[in-house]
Amino acid sequence: MDTVQQEVDHLYKQHFGKMVASLLYSWRDIDPETAEDIVQDSFSSALTDWRLKGIPANPMGWIYKVCRNTALNKIKKNKRLEALSEKTDQGWAEDRFSESAFEDQPLRILFACAHPDLSPKAQVVITLKYVVNLKVEAIARIFGMTIDGVDKLLLRARQKIKEEKIILEEPHPQALKQRLSIVHKIIYLTFNEGYKSSAGKEIIREELCEEALLLNKALLDSHLSNKETKALHALMLFNCARFKSRFAASGELLDLENQDRSLWNSDLIFLAHDFLTRSQSRVISKYHLEAAIACLHCAATSFEDTDWKTIAQLYARLLHLHPNPFVELNYAIALFYAEDKVAAFKILHELQHHAILNQYYLLNMTLGKFHYLEGDNITARQFLCKAYHQTDAIQEKDFIQHMIDKLEDHA
Amino acid sequence: MERFMLIVREDLEKIGRLTTEERFAASPNMLDWVKSLAESGNYIGGEPLAVTGRYVSKDEVLSDGPFIEAKEGISGYDIILAENLNQAVAIAQTCPMVMLGLAIREVRPIQPMFDI
Repeated sequence: MDTVQQEVDHLYKQHFGKMVASLLYSWRDIDPETAEDIVQDSFSSALTDWRLKGIPANPMGWIYKVCRNTALNKIKKNKRLEALSEKTDQGWAEDRFSESAFEDQPLRILFACAHPDLSPKAQVVITLKYVVNLKVEAIARIFGMTIDGVDKLLLRARQKIKEEKIILEEPHPQALKQRLSIVHKIIYLTFNEGYKSSAGKEIIREELCEEALLLNKALLDSHLSNKETKALHALMLFNCARFKSRFAASGELLDLENQDRSLWNSDLIFLAHDFLTRSQSRVISKYHLEAAIACLHCAATSFEDTDWKTIAQLYARLLHLHPNPFVELNYAIALFYAEDKVAAFKILHELQHHAILNQYYLLNMTLGKFHYLEGDNITARQFLCKAYHQTDAIQEKDFIQHMIDKLEDHA
Repeated sequence: MERFMLIVREDLEKIGRLTTEERFAASPNMLDWVKSLAESGNYIGGEPLAVTGRYVSKDEVLSDGPFIEAKEGISGYDIILAENLNQAVAIAQTCPMVMLGLAIREVRPIQPMFDI
């Protein structure tokens, strides 16, 4: 690859989404598809022009100028067609579309992506596309979707943007509060998508976690954040601290019990503590509770030393706030290790009758493990075999296979 | 956030001919959808319904009722939280059964009662 191509690729990766977003913000007449085309064309022009004349002193400034002119021409053409002239509006837009006006742009776009009419998944997908600047291929891989599927989702979201000019306007102050909680959710889901163990040690996953932290950091640095933002930051940092220890050197998935705790990043844990302390508020959000749980895990010197009793109490509060069968599973696990095994099995057996949870490998794996710990290897085996067939992820399959092998050894 | 019931409507005559195993093996994997809704704090609960039942009115009890042959009979429900009706609709559109054209989702806000 030649140096011009490298330079263009590099700038493209960093600026494409921002430029599209900024065009949309600056010119009300441009729809998202046209904006993408204009930016795309500007980068193509750069590639051709720079190969002939060399890379200019300010490459990004060059691309912005081309982009701005193309947009202007396009609008002038449209205006002529419509026989309209709105000179003042145009001048204002030209002022807004400049390189320097970009710094707070991602946050603005993030709040636009947090539109309450879009599904949570669509909110995350358009954020990854227009704020984080991921390509459609990468987004498809992250969500296990087809490229076509992502395109359709983006198309639907874009139609909404076009219909209502969502991205063009800053939300009304009253709407900001609702938007902030959606923004938190987008960041939380982006982080989780990166943290999921089923995908293994893919680099892109770690990057997603970083992106989520960066977005939240930008939010913290703005005047828009609240105590929940701090709690969310603490939660993500506590989990980041344990990121590397979740896999053995061979790439094999490790459960909390077998993780090398010396690999946990104490600097991040320290920082997370600080955020959690500063997040204290009268209103306790789910981020506060989840961060507190993560904090207790990080504070334990060993699996056995973990304060399972308090963790179970925190899960109970979390469930009180938001009923969620998947969290009930975690609650049951905490109860089991807190030596309240009767209560733990009662919840697990109720979850077995849940039409959806019944198909969840983690429920059956947990039942298998707990029956094994209680000395009932026959029942344990049945549950583990069921769990084995309920997941397609190789990491998870291997993990369950190891547990089944362990049963055979003890038989 | 407001509560919504997403009612599943599908061909009851068709699923009535299947055994329970066949019925759920034939339906797409709903776990991922529900799991992602739970993760985003939108899922409260839900259940499939058996196809058999009774139909009760003032004057009579019908053993099968008209619903047994309904092309779009109620076969299950989910209760979700959503920001508004539009979001609830957007969520319903992503249901795998809807996407595959196997079922229709009726999206109904749960009627909030007045405060005193």
